[in-house]
Amino acid sequence: MSPASPSSSSRRGRPARAPVRPRRASLAARGLLAAAERDLQQIILDIHDGPVQDIFGALSQIQVLRHRPELQTGDASVVLGRVAASLERALGEIRNFIGAFRPPEFERRPLGAILEQLVVQHESLTGATVDFSLATPLPDDVPLSLKISLYRILQEALANATRHAGVTSFEVLARADRRHIVVRVRDRGRGFNVAKVLKKEIDVGVAGGHFGLRGMRDRVAIMNGKLSISSGRGGTVVTIRLPLS
Amino acid sequence: MIKVLLVDDHPLVLEGLRGLMESEPGIEVVGTTTDGARVVDLARQYRPDVVVLDLELGATNGYDVLTKLRAEQVPARVLVLTAYGDGESLRAALEHHADGIALKTDSPARTIDAIRAVNAGVLVFPQAARRWMRKPTDRAVAGPSALSDREREVWRHLASGLSNAAIARKLGVSPSTVKFHTQNLFQKLGVGNRTAAAVEYEKQIPAAARGRERG
Repeated sequence: MSPASPSSSSRRGRPARAPVRPRRASLAARGLLAAAERDLQQIILDIHDGPVQDIFGALSQIQVLRHRPELQTGDASVVLGRVAASLERALGEIRNFIGAFRPPEFERRPLGAILEQLVVQHESLTGATVDFSLATPLPDDVPLSLKISLYRILQEALANATRHAGVTSFEVLARADRRHIVVRVRDRGRGFNVAKVLKKEIDVGVAGGHFGLRGMRDRVAIMNGKLSISSGRGGTVVTIRLPLS
Repeated sequence: MIKVLLVDDHPLVLEGLRGLMESEPGIEVVGTTTDGARVVDLARQYRPDVVVLDLELGATNGYDVLTKLRAEQVPARVLVLTAYGDGESLRAALEHHADGIALKTDSPARTIDAIRAVNAGVLVFPQAARRWMRKPTDRAVAGPSALSDREREVWRHLASGLSNAAIARKLGVSPSTVKFHTQNLFQKLGVGNRTAAAVEYEKQIPAAARGRERG
C-alpha cells in the first residue's frame, strides 16, 4: 500500500497524518521561500565576515612582500606570484557566488526596483547587455513571496539565456494588470528543444545537473502562475505570469 | 600626494592595505581606525582626500558613517570597500552618495586604482550601474588629461580594435582588470561605449602623436 494519502487513511478511520490541504501546502511553500532567503543571507554573511576578510588581508600582505627588492626575483618571487594568483581566483569565485545569491532588500524595495537591480547585477557579473523596460507601472504592495519568486525566476531565466543562447544581449519586459504580473525574457540566440530539456530535468534529485527550467517551473507552480517557453531558430521567449493574490 | 583615511574593523585588512599603500608612490595613509563612530572626527583632524570605508564596522553601519560625513560636509571623496558587488549594494552605495565602490573580492591592487580614480574626480562604479548615477557633472567627466598611464595604454589598444581579452594578454593582466580600466576610461572621457572611446581617441590624439604613444 502506498504511504497514507488523505483518502486511504480516512477510509480506515485512523488517519496516520493530518491531511494537508493543497491551499495550505501552497501557503506553507511560500513561507519557506522567505526562510530560504534568510538562510542564504546568513551563509553569505558568514563568508563575508570570515574567508573574504582573511583572503583579502592576506593578499594585501603578499602584495607588500612582492614590492620588496629582494623578493622581486628568484624562486620566492615565483611562489609569491602563484600564491597571489590562487588567492585572487578564490576571491573571484566568492565574488560570483555572493553576487548571484545575496538577496536584495525584498521587504524595503518595490518590485520594479528589485527587478532592475537584478538586471544591473547580471550585466555587471556577466558583461551581458539587458534592455529592461516596464510596459506599465508595477504595483508597490505585492506579497513578499511574489517578489522573491519573480526575482529568482527572472534570475534563472537570465542565467539560462546567458549560458545557452550564445548571445550577449537580452530583453526583459515587465507589466502588470489588475490581477497579474507578467515578465517576458527574450533572446535572439540559437534556441533549444524545450520538451527535450524538460524531460531530461525530471527527477534530477539533489545531486543532479542543471535543472534551471525545472526550478523555474516549480517556483511558478508554488505561486499558482504560468510559465511558457517558446524557442526556435529566432531565439527564445520565456514568459512568467504570476497572480497578484 | 593622496591622503587616505582607512576605516575597517578587520585588523588584517587594515594592516595589509596600509602596508600596500605605503609602498605605493603618491599615496599616504594619514590615519586608520576600526571605529565607525570616530570617522568624522578623524576626517576633520587629518583632512584626507579619500576615506576608504568598510561597510561592516561591528555595531556601526558604514552607510550611517557615510551619511554623517556628507551631512557634516566633510570635503573628502569616499570609496566604499565591501565584499558585496550585487545590484542592491551598488544601488545603496549610489543612494548614499559614495564616490565609488571597491570590492574585497577583487585584488587589493584594484582598491589602490580605485583610490586614485575617485581622487581624480571619477565615480568608480560598474558600467551597468550608470543608469542610477547622478547627472554627469564637470568633475565626473575629467577628460583625457585625467587618464592614468595604464588607462591611456588600454585606450590606445581599444582604439586599435582589440578586445578586452586581447588587451589583457598584451598587458599581462586579467580581463577583469582591463574591464575596470575601460570603465574608468569611459567615465573620464564621458563616453558610453568602446566605439565612442575609439572615436574620441582619433579626435584627441593627433596621428603624429600616436607613434610616440606606442614608444
